[in-house]
This record gives sequence, C-alpha cells and structure tokens, in this order.
Amino acid sequence: MVLTDRAAFDAHAARVRAEFESYTSDSEWTISVCVSEDSKAKGVLDTFEHLRFRIESGDIEARLRTTGGGGWAWADPSIIVSGPNHPAVLYGNVGSDDVPGLVAALASGHTYDAGLIGAFGESDTLPAVADHPYFKLQTRLLTQNWGMIDPYSIDDYIANDGYAAWIKALFDMTPEEVVDEVKASGVRGRGGAGFPAGIKWESGRRAQARPKFMACNSHEGEPNVYKDRRLIESDPHRILEGIMLGCYGVGAERGYNYVGGEHLLAVERFRHAVNEAYRLGLLGDNILGSGVNCHIRLLTGGGAYICGEGSALMYSVMGERGQPRTKPPRSVEEGLWRRPTVLNNTETLAPVPDIIRNGGAWYASLGTERSTGTKLVSMQGPLARLGVVEVEMGVSLKDILYETYGGMAEGKTLKGVQTGGVSAGPLLPDQLDVAVDFDSLQQYDCMLGSGGFVVFDDSVDAVEFGRYLMDFNRWESCSKCTPCRLGNKALVEVVDRILNGRGQERDMQLIESTAKHVMELSLCGLGQVAPAPLIGMMRCFPEDFEARIDAASEPIEAGEQQRFVIPLAAVGA
Amino acid sequence: MTRGMAHKSTVEQADLDRLQAHLEEHFQPRDHEEAQELILGALQHVQHEFGWVPLEASQAIADHLGVSVNRIYGLLTFYADFRTEPPGEHFMLLCHGAACFVGGSQKLIHELRDNYGIGQGGTTADGKLTVQIVNGCLGVCDLAPIVQFDHEKYVGNLDVDSFNAAIEEITANGSQREDHGAD
Ligand SMILES: Cc1cc2nc3c(=O)[nH]c(=O)nc-3n(C[C@H](O)[C@H](O)[C@H](O)COP(=O)(O)O)c2cc1C
Ligand code: SF4
Ligand code: FES
Repeated sequence: MVLTDRAAFDAHAARVRAEFESYTSDSEWTISVCVSEDSKAKGVLDTFEHLRFRIESGDIEARLRTTGGGGWAWADPSIIVSGPNHPAVLYGNVGSDDVPGLVAALASGHTYDAGLIGAFGESDTLPAVADHPYFKLQTRLLTQNWGMIDPYSIDDYIANDGYAAWIKALFDMTPEEVVDEVKASGVRGRGGAGFPAGIKWESGRRAQARPKFMACNSHEGEPNVYKDRRLIESDPHRILEGIMLGCYGVGAERGYNYVGGEHLLAVERFRHAVNEAYRLGLLGDNILGSGVNCHIRLLTGGGAYICGEGSALMYSVMGERGQPRTKPPRSVEEGLWRRPTVLNNTETLAPVPDIIRNGGAWYASLGTERSTGTKLVSMQGPLARLGVVEVEMGVSLKDILYETYGGMAEGKTLKGVQTGGVSAGPLLPDQLDVAVDFDSLQQYDCMLGSGGFVVFDDSVDAVEFGRYLMDFNRWESCSKCTPCRLGNKALVEVVDRILNGRGQERDMQLIESTAKHVMELSLCGLGQVAPAPLIGMMRCFPEDFEARIDAASEPIEAGEQQRFVIPLAAVGA
Repeated sequence: MTRGMAHKSTVEQADLDRLQAHLEEHFQPRDHEEAQELILGALQHVQHEFGWVPLEASQAIADHLGVSVNRIYGLLTFYADFRTEPPGEHFMLLCHGAACFVGGSQKLIHELRDNYGIGQGGTTADGKLTVQIVNGCLGVCDLAPIVQFDHEKYVGNLDVDSFNAAIEEITANGSQREDHGAD
C-alpha cells in the first residue's frame, strides 16, 4: 500500500495506533520476546520456540511477537508480558527451561517470580521497573522504543509517533526551520568530536554546489562500544527518519547510511526499514504529494576501523580504499562525489525526530548547558550488570558504574576505567566522580568519545592493556602517512621490549618523545591520538611499567620462554 | 545460491553464471558513480556466497561494473574482512575487543598459536577451522571473551579449556551452513 497524501498517512497512523494499543490491553495475553544480536547469543530464539510450542499446544492463549532488544543485556533473554490484570511486566533471564513455569504461572493468573524485574505501568502489587537500580538513573529518550516495538514493523514505529516529524517537516516547516530547531537543540556530534550538529547542518544548507548528500556514520568499529548497532537493531526507523530529516534540512535528495559490515542484524533491520519506508511511500519521489524527493542507500563496511573517519568513510562509499585525506576542504564543502555532504553519527541523528516534533528548546532543557540531551553509555568489563544505558548528560560516572551497572562483579577489584575508546587514557578509581558530558572528562586528560567505557580489574596489567590499545591503532593505521605508519609500530616495539623483560628506564622517555612526534605529525584523527591510551596508562599506572623495567635488570635465564603479546598481523598464516 | 558451493576451493563456470545473473539482477547501476558505490557490496555478496573472493569472481565484478580488476584487488587487500583464499570447513570469529581483552582473549590467541599453529586469518592444517580475529567488538560483551562460529553460534565466557572444547565440538561436526555472514 502506498500512501499518497498527508490525510492518508494520518488515517494509517490512527489505525496502527489502535492496533498497537491492543498489545497492552487487558483483554488478551501478549508476550513480546526481545531479540537483539546480544540476546540471540544468549539463546533467546530457543525461548521463543518454546513459548510458541506452549501456545500452540494450548497451554495458554496468547499473542506472541518479537521486539528489538531493550539494552538490558544482563537480563537477556528477556520478555515483556501483558494481559488480564497484568500490566506490562519485564521478565529477565528467561531461558527455555523457564518457559513451562512461566506459562503455568501466567495461565493461572499469577506472575512468574523467578525472572520478574518490574512493571512498566502502574501497579499496586508489583515493583516498578523505574525503581530498579538499572533504570533509576536512566532517561530513556533514544531508547524509548527499545524492547517495545517490532523493528521489522514500520507500523509499530508509526504507532509510537514515528514519522510524525517527517510529516510535520514536509508540510508545516521550511528546511531552514528544521535546521533552526536542530541548532536550538544544541545537540552535539556523538561520533567523538562533539561538534554542534545544527551548525554543520547550516553549513550544509548554505553550500552552493548541487547535488548535496546527507550521510549517517554507523560504522562503529571501536573495540569498546556497541551502541549505534543497538540503536539500529532496536529502532531502525528512528535512525532512518533522522537521516531523512537531515536530507530535507540541508537540501539533499539522497542520504546514505554506512554500517559496519560485522553488525549483521543492524544491517538486516536497516535494509528492511528502508524497503518498508519506500513501500509506504515515505521515501521516493514527490513524497505524499509534497514535491519532496528523498532516497536512501545503505552501504556496509569491510572491517577497517579507519572507515569511521569522515573522509575515509566517503572514499569507502565511493568504492575506494578508506584512507583519510587532508582538510580543508571539509566534507560539508566537498564530500561524496566532491559534493557538499553532511555526516553525522547515528546517535546524533537519533533524537532529531523528537527535536522536530517537540522543538529544539525542549531538547536543550535536557542535560547540561554545554552538553544538551541524553547520552548512550556502554560499559564493558567485569561488572555486575552489562548493557547499553541512556542517561541525561551530566550524570556522574561513578553513579552510573555503581548504581546502573551494579558495581564490580563479585570478587573483582576495580583498577581503572578506560575512556574515549582507543583515543584517550584511563580514569583512576578516585577520579570517577566526574560528569558524563563533553567537557568534564578533559580535566583528567580523558575523553567522552563515543560513550564507551572499559572497566578493568586488578588482574589486568597496565603495560599489557596499554600495549593492546597501542597495537589496535597500529594495526588499524591506514598507512597513508609515515608518522602513523612507522611511529605507532615503533611504539609497539618499545612496549614489547618492556614486556619481554628487556626494558630500560630510558624507554619511558623514548615512548614519550615518539608519541609526541606521532601525535603532532599525523594526518588524521587516528594518528593524532593513537599513542594517547598508552601515555595515559603510563601516567596512571607508572608502577606497572617500573616493575617490568626493574625486573629487566636481572639477567634472563637461558632457555627461559620469552613472554610476549602477539601482534595481530605478525602471526598470519 | 545452492548449498555445496560453500567449501569449493575452485570456481566452476556454473558458479560464475549464477553470479553473473545475480549481478545483472541486483547490481544494476544507473551511472558510473553508482557503479563504484556497488563494488564493495558486490564483493561482499561474493564472499557471502563463496566464503572467499576468487579472482574469477573479481574479474566478473570488474567487467560488470566497468572498473579494473586491479582496483578490486586494492580493495580486497585493504578491507580486513575479505579473504582471497578459501576458508576451512568452519569459520570462527574471535572477538579481541576491549571487554574480551580484559576478560582474557589474549590467552585464547596464544592458545591458537601454540596449540593449533594459526594466527589472524589462518586455517588449521587439517583444513577444518579458519580463524578471524576481530579487532572491534562483537557487541555481546557480557559474554566476554567470546567467539562466534559459522556466523551464528556464539560461545562465551571462555577460558582456555572451554575454548578448546568449543573448537573440538564444532570441528567434529561435519557440515557448515551454506552462507557466510554479511552480504
Ligand atoms: C579513526 C576514526 C574513527 C572514527 N570512527 C567513527 C565511528 O565509527 N562512528 C562515528 O560516528 N564517528 C567516527 N569518527 C568521527 C567521524 O570522523 C566524524 O567526526 C563523525 O562521524 C561526525 O559525526 P558527529 O558530528 O555527529 O559526531 C571517527 C574518527 C576517527 C578519526
Ligand atoms: S594518521 Fe594514520 S590512519 Fe590517519 S591518514 Fe595517516 S596513516 Fe592513515
Ligand atoms: S569486546 Fe568482545 S564482545 Fe565486546
């Protein structure tokens, strides 16, 4: 069915809203199974099959559906159940073994206590999800649909105000007004640099050359973060609508999404979303009779981290090796096919539909003055609970670690928290009371980056961790410029010398001076920060380095096995 | 495409004919710019179907999209995901992202070197297992350190023993899925 005008869209929206509301009505049981790449790894599809079997055998009369992941990886496999006298309830860790007990409890009108996390709506008898420590600090704006809607259903999205912003922009707003709202929102780029999106859009809008392009960066190749793929997996249309609004705002008739090729489910769901939007007539030519054309292309990466860098991404889209180039010209002047191209991170585009619907001022009231809105945080490491969480900018990292993530896993002692992915250094345990925003982390020479934090315990040696991060950057260097290609390699070699028990005191200075060269002379953002994590490890944990160097003055015993960390490349078959 | 093509280390005319038909149906550029945007996607399709990118397939893509095969070779060597050699019977992604590192993935890499004689991109001598070490994060960090077999089966919370057991289990299993992950 193709919708041909605004009235047709409105009628469709009303119809699908009624349908969606029936999922939480109290006349019928609805069981929603949250399927993400993560929950699939934990056997959620088995849970689904067992539920289907029970329903088909008549043990309970219920509607079974799948939704996207909720971000609560620690609780997966998870399901959301609503039904007679039973508000929408989140159950966690529901393995296939739990299914018989769960179904029996529900069929007899009870809750299944083993996995009960809480109720989403009002309930006199059940704990509220919002009071659970995992949810308490969260403000779920970008994640509002996670776990609730079926990512394969455009109608589920529309039923939750989806594409209302697109309709509003097409019919009630000029492109300039769209750009103005994004400017007023103050939303800053979530890809790492924190550049205000509205200003970038305005430059794109003003650029003279035609055609222009909008591009979304969903590459997410850093080793410490998994939020953009979850945004797409759980609510693909939100990202699509954000790109479409960007197209309209800057005056582009074509938008791109570049997704990391290893994010299989995200790629599949985004592709499906684009097809659905075409099918309904929300993409294409003369959309809903508005005279506006908008087309979207999906491209996938090939496992090269550097392709997340803006100019490299564009070369990759154009079928080239992804190697950055010098700037200027910036990509808003000359990007894809040497035309003005506005590039934003997935998470930067995710709130745009809400910003257009509710106004930029509303968004700016969230977060802090200089870092507006909410931030997705993905913490990794030996923590009690893992997952993606969404907080208002400005919340203390310590609170997120100890409340939302539940602190360290049993028996683990915190040693530090690596920040900024592979581009900055770690925080020490006594530095954690710092606000999560773009500026506060800088006082410790740390970075918010993409919001990924790696918590590590005292079993991790800072020399080895520094070496790991250094080696990541060396391996991912595109080899275009010499300081990065050779300097980072040299740095890995010096660390290896220390790890091999042959380090000397002056190696520390050698690292410092080589790092300085690499950072000052490299062409792009990879080389310019590549040694920063290693330098950070040396700054925070000098004792780990010194211990190795002191031990090295003892002679190496003949025949003793040398210990070293294998470089990824060197051991190739 | 049909099952069975997966393990082929040589390419037959019938395979290339099928590829040609697929290119003509799904990779139809409207102009030379779009042709270039389709190169990587076409290569990914080939790797998805064959498990690797044979030279003959690269040539077919080059001819179809009007670019040189040298350019394609430049892409195959730049992008880490592409293989220009046939993989073994089973395929393992070993996550070496930060959470997996903190959880001990380095030990698993050492084990691969010491016990199986393979490293990044390598295939065991018996041809049963090819490993790709992933520098990024597989996105399932709460099971770190983790590996993924044959693009679908995850085994997590590994130590050296359970790692060896997982490899033994998967390689004892003869057949593999017919496709090869992302297209
Ligand atoms: C080596 C390197 C890798 C990057 N990887 C990503 C990435 O995976 N995703 C992303 O959005 N931005 C990444 N960036 C930042 C982009 O260059 C660019 O600044 C960003 O996509 C712009 O979007 P934003 O303004 O919305 O943040 C990377 C930068 C560098 C230097
Ligand atoms: S700094 Fe490194 S990654 Fe960037 S262009 Fe130079 S060699 Fe390539
Ligand atoms: S780091 Fe291995 S799954 Fe995230």
